[in-house]
Amino acid sequence: MSDLEIFRTIVTEFPYALLGSLVAALLCAYLGVYVVSKRVVFVGATLTQVAVAGIAFSHLPFADFEPLYGSIVFTVLVTLLFAWMLQSKSVPRDTVLGASFVAAIALRILMIQKSAAAEVSEIDAILKGDILFVTAQQFHLLLGVFIVLMLIHLVFYKAFIFVSFDAETATTQGFNSRVWEMVFYLTVGVAVSVATRVVGDVFVFGFLVIPAAGAILTARKVKNIFLLAILYAAIPPVIGLYLAFKLDLPAGPTTVTTGLVLLLVTWILSRFKH
Amino acid sequence: MKSQAQALVQFENVTLGYRRNVIAKEISFSIEEGEFVGIVGPNGSGKTTIVRAILGILKPQRGDIRVRGRSSERLRIGYVPQRDSIDPIMPFTVSDVVIMGRYGRLGMIRRPTSKDRAAAIEALKHVDLLDQAASSYRDLSGGQKQRTLIARALAAEPDMLILDEPTNGMDLASRTAIMELIKHFHAEHGMTVLMVSHLLSDVANYVKKIMLVEPQFFQVGSVEEILSEANLTRVYDLPVMVGEWMGTKVIIARGKSV
Repeated sequence: MSDLEIFRTIVTEFPYALLGSLVAALLCAYLGVYVVSKRVVFVGATLTQVAVAGIAFSHLPFADFEPLYGSIVFTVLVTLLFAWMLQSKSVPRDTVLGASFVAAIALRILMIQKSAAAEVSEIDAILKGDILFVTAQQFHLLLGVFIVLMLIHLVFYKAFIFVSFDAETATTQGFNSRVWEMVFYLTVGVAVSVATRVVGDVFVFGFLVIPAAGAILTARKVKNIFLLAILYAAIPPVIGLYLAFKLDLPAGPTTVTTGLVLLLVTWILSRFKH
Repeated sequence: MKSQAQALVQFENVTLGYRRNVIAKEISFSIEEGEFVGIVGPNGSGKTTIVRAILGILKPQRGDIRVRGRSSERLRIGYVPQRDSIDPIMPFTVSDVVIMGRYGRLGMIRRPTSKDRAAAIEALKHVDLLDQAASSYRDLSGGQKQRTLIARALAAEPDMLILDEPTNGMDLASRTAIMELIKHFHAEHGMTVLMVSHLLSDVANYVKKIMLVEPQFFQVGSVEEILSEANLTRVYDLPVMVGEWMGTKVIIARGKSV
């Protein structure tokens, strides 16, 4: 199969894989700028595992509902818990995240053990990052979430950026930093839960970190960081899907690896520039 | 003497704390318009708690806090936090940081206008940092970062400037420059200033009124009344000497063994 035929097959046979991974990558990349700059990268790792645990929960024999709901409920509940506990100084932040991370993985393994074999394969597909079979319904839901969350972030840009830079002073100026931190973590929680259901945990965590890291390495202005992060996020899904087809690899990890190579090249070029 | 109704901030028998942990009990003081007030005290004595109450972040458990004689009125405060509390990974420019001082005026949704940008430029001129407006905040020296944060506070066109340890961790030259800048604003622009500091000599030479905060104990008065050798020796549990050299007050602590 020629390169052109591969691209044509992706666009005609798997359009939602391409569009879904692009939208998920852009959403994660935008939120990732805050996640990386707040130094809460491990929140992303933990929430993706919580989302998978929520999906596993929905496959238990007594739970008969759409896996996406399990993912959203689990992630939002844990996000609220994080937002509350991460502001407390009595429990170390990494302890909260570490305990949640390992609890989510342990719960997921236990729940998979008790699920029907056919449904285990669906969770396996998410864990392997098999994004080729994204459905139209999943894509439209992801697109809706993308539009709503981006609107919230663009309308309240000042509040998010001020609280992220200096929460104490923001509060003195009428921006309740506790509330805005909670809103921020909720937007990340909703984005992670929906995106993980569609494109898998490795993809979501990868795109929460890699594009933001690349953008922060190269941008000289804050506004450019968001634009560059979106640019870095837009390239790997296209190349990753192409490589996955050509080399018969799982698309999610291939896309993330492509992003990592791009980050490495960016880092080397930025070193030369300096 | 000004009447109580004219006080910018008036604390009347105010008790402050966090749930059952009372930090300051039934304290009363006033800050008049145009005053330069210092807050000193040992670590953990409750200085920050009092500042949080003035900022309106912490509600009193008992008592009344009035602004210009009214309980419902809120002050517009230009707050300068400890610069070490800000750790930006993102490349905020100096002007990005200073324009944040206008955000409180703009509310949640409105974007900065040319008027806000003009106020930010004016604030940068005041702290002599206009030529650094496009520089990255994270690459500045400690003194330049502090001046940027002061410019951000000034950009809010505040009723009062509150500075938390503004000279902490600075070398002598930067420390003097920052203190002179604050003094200039107080003297030339009649700005009401409240400064929290561990450095007693800084406070003694610049402020007129001083609050000395101790756990469960609070004093307010003139520098001479509060920063006396006997008072400081008792508060810090160390022999403290208060003197004057070429018109400058000097406060030195000697070790207990001396």
